[in-house]
Amino acid sequence: MYNNEITPFKHLLLICLVIFLGGCAAPGYGPIVEDLSVQARPSERMPSSSTNAPTDTLVTSQAPTLVVTAKPKPYVAPKADVTITAQPISNQVATGSVVQEIILPVVQESPLPPSNQAVVEQLLAEADQLKAQGKVTQAVIQLQRAQRIAPREPKVYARLAALQLSLGEASRAEQLALKGLTLVPNKNSYQYYFWKLIGASRSHLGDTKGEAKAIAEAKKYK
Amino acid sequence: MWLFKFATVLLVVGTVALVYLDAQIRHRFEGHRWSLPAKVYARPLELFTGQQLATGQLDYELTQLGYRWVNHAKAPGQVQKTNQGIVIFSRGFRFADGDQKGHVVEVSLKRNKITGLRQTSGASIALLRLEPQLVGGIYPAHNEDRELIQLNDLPNGFIETLLAVEDRHYYSHYGVSPWGIARAMWANVKAGAVVQGGSTLTQQLVKNFYLTDRQTLWRKLIEAPMALLLNIHYSKDEVLEVYLNEVFVGQAGKRAIHGFGLASRFYFGQPLSELKLHQVALLVGLVKGPSYYNPQRHPERAIKRRNLVLSILAQQGLISEAQKMNYQGLPLDLTEASQVSRYPAYMDVVRQQLQQHYQASALSNHGLRIFTSLDPWVQHQADTAMVEQVNKLKQRHGNIEGLQGAAVVSHRGSGELLALVGDHNGGYAGHNWALDRSRQVGSLLKPVVHLAALETGQYSLVTSIDDAPIALPQADGSLWQPQNYDHKSHGKVPMYETLVKSYNQANVRLGLQVGVDKVLQQLRRMGVEQSIPAYPSVLLGAVEMSPLQVNQVYQTIASNGFYSPLSLVRQVTEANGRLLSHFPFAVRQSASNDSIYLLQHEMRMVAREGTARGVYRFLPKQQKVAAKTGTTNDQRDSWFAGFSGRHVATVWLGREDAKPTPLTGAGGALNVWGQMMQHLAYTDHEDIKPQSIDYYYLNITTGKAMPDNCPNGVWLPMLKTLAPPINTTCGY
Repeated sequence: MYNNEITPFKHLLLICLVIFLGGCAAPGYGPIVEDLSVQARPSERMPSSSTNAPTDTLVTSQAPTLVVTAKPKPYVAPKADVTITAQPISNQVATGSVVQEIILPVVQESPLPPSNQAVVEQLLAEADQLKAQGKVTQAVIQLQRAQRIAPREPKVYARLAALQLSLGEASRAEQLALKGLTLVPNKNSYQYYFWKLIGASRSHLGDTKGEAKAIAEAKKYK
Repeated sequence: MWLFKFATVLLVVGTVALVYLDAQIRHRFEGHRWSLPAKVYARPLELFTGQQLATGQLDYELTQLGYRWVNHAKAPGQVQKTNQGIVIFSRGFRFADGDQKGHVVEVSLKRNKITGLRQTSGASIALLRLEPQLVGGIYPAHNEDRELIQLNDLPNGFIETLLAVEDRHYYSHYGVSPWGIARAMWANVKAGAVVQGGSTLTQQLVKNFYLTDRQTLWRKLIEAPMALLLNIHYSKDEVLEVYLNEVFVGQAGKRAIHGFGLASRFYFGQPLSELKLHQVALLVGLVKGPSYYNPQRHPERAIKRRNLVLSILAQQGLISEAQKMNYQGLPLDLTEASQVSRYPAYMDVVRQQLQQHYQASALSNHGLRIFTSLDPWVQHQADTAMVEQVNKLKQRHGNIEGLQGAAVVSHRGSGELLALVGDHNGGYAGHNWALDRSRQVGSLLKPVVHLAALETGQYSLVTSIDDAPIALPQADGSLWQPQNYDHKSHGKVPMYETLVKSYNQANVRLGLQVGVDKVLQQLRRMGVEQSIPAYPSVLLGAVEMSPLQVNQVYQTIASNGFYSPLSLVRQVTEANGRLLSHFPFAVRQSASNDSIYLLQHEMRMVAREGTARGVYRFLPKQQKVAAKTGTTNDQRDSWFAGFSGRHVATVWLGREDAKPTPLTGAGGALNVWGQMMQHLAYTDHEDIKPQSIDYYYLNITTGKAMPDNCPNGVWLPMLKTLAPPINTTCGY
């Protein structure tokens, strides 16, 4: 609560603030959902020539602890009056058809076997539905929920990676697919899927050598 | 004439004052009424078929959430025991990913494992997410806390009770009640003292909402006109709703409890809508004097007051005499869950992290909802293990002056922080030992040395390493001569044994062969950012790290070589549920799958037969854990770090002044780690073996493979490329 005593001046200020910040909340000021992840900087990507053994060039590292070192963005969201709801939950939008063209074939070519956990299938279905509605952030949240429940389920990584790639987060997608690979040494359909996805990610990152290697790997499992 | 002039001036001044008051009233009433602290939530418990829970966990979590055990669960917040398990009537909740309705679900359990979830219709469902526990808030300077409610959140009988006690004619008076004042005055005159106030609820609201507590003449003068104005502008229901949220009903340390919504959570651990009449009567009774009638401190006064309220209800014919007697016979039914913040160390980190993204005022004023990964059960077990084991150590070794401790637990699969203990007694004041203080990590670094060696592709677990004494010249010309803990040398030993027995001399030699810089590069890839000079002593852990940093390194090992920063905030939303930020799961490969597979095997051997084997005093034999002990010079620091199928945990014990203790890693921190893990659910699964690796039956002295009918061999995983030819004889 504010200072209990009535102070007209303060109230005037407050009104100004509400109007001012209300303006900020008007549509057209960009996405409001902040993606506060720490992601590997391009220089930290695993050199694609040796996906199984990082070399010494990979020495730069991330913030050591829990600290989420997001790109510092000016803080916009909570307004002086939280009841102002100028905008619905904003969503990240897939970055254009180029990426869609890369990943769609991968997804269609190689349907993945169903998970043996009903809960995983349900959450993946919910995520698909959200994505279809254009609620991409919500879909990511559902997939992460599935990842926490079933961290050894390769299908979850397949979906997460595909979704990140469709958002243009190729580096993140590549790493998620690499993680997925470690879970499926004897599952050809997954090996194929992940290598294709890694290839697509590297292509997006301009890493042609790495892409070629990934495509060659994928072929082994076709 | 002057009288007329005076009257005119008075009229003008009065009108201006009234217009001014009116503006104030309307502005405050219609604008941003309260600054709401950010609410911090624990992770919601997800129940699904196949989910393994720990013994006692479900009961504990439901109690913390304020669920009541009943014979037949028929309202939200109730739970019922059945033959197969329990029936839960969950509450609805607004999650960051959308609203979720309450459900009635029968949960079948067998040895704490969920075998099925069924709705009352009989249909089975895949998943039930309980609402998350509210674990704290980020309060503004004035420390007011409240949980906003609306009239339709009120349980049956609430308004009737409130009005019967505080303002019988609320719906018929004009904001002030001359009759009420007269009655109060009469009562006061009769008693010869102020025993009754004549204030209406409207006046009480004006007093709390617009004016200070000071008994000034000005306040007295404007209170009544303001109440009248409020009454003119707004409906009775609107004013009542604001009153319900404004009223002061208790104090928890520095935190002021306002409004019946929060009061219900605070005293009963339940949402207001679930309260029964005896609980309602207590809350309404508290308005008269929240500290005098404080049910936690003065239960007998509180019962008396509550029963008086129930008597008033009976007098006014709102309940029958029999109902009155029935309710008066009930206990206070206060919540068993402590209302003091139980998670100071964790909340500390949440706050730190949020302050990087949000302004302090945004956190304390806008009712933001912060969803974290805090696991109340894990935190509870970590706190308990720390307190109990530290006490035991003190009994065994005599008082260890200034003994401190810290523990960090994260989720192996996701890298989320589940629990933090920042102090030897669970609470903490001042230093958060899990983050703020760095200590030398000793042998905890040896797995990193081994990983760096394995990453070269030239070492196998049976590569022979010399454990002979070693002396290295230092910059100042003196010699550095590290020794083994037992002051003996063990000759040539297979690499895995140097970790299992934690031989210093052999590990220094191994590290020098690989290169100190390579070891440090590996460490950096696993999330340790600070610059560390490349001295050989680093190989024995002459590196200062906080327990949190250590856990980050072990988290990377546990998650198959993929680094992801330990995180604890999942999402932040506005009060209305609008999503503001979320933290996507991201990983970065920091070591090859092959090397990690071999390292994990070594670390499991450390727990089975090596320096960490004491954990099996706490854990069942079949549970797989991988771990490492750490002890620094003169036993200044006692460390233990490792992971099970589900959890990664690090424990540190040591003195505040960093003086020697009687504790080794195995003699101190291991006990806290062991007790904690003993009470956490675990899931075991086979490690996924990379295609490049196979198991071989090896003669340890020669390092050669031999037929599996030979005696004294060991099955070990090896890179196929390094595999020795299989001898046809046993090779002895």
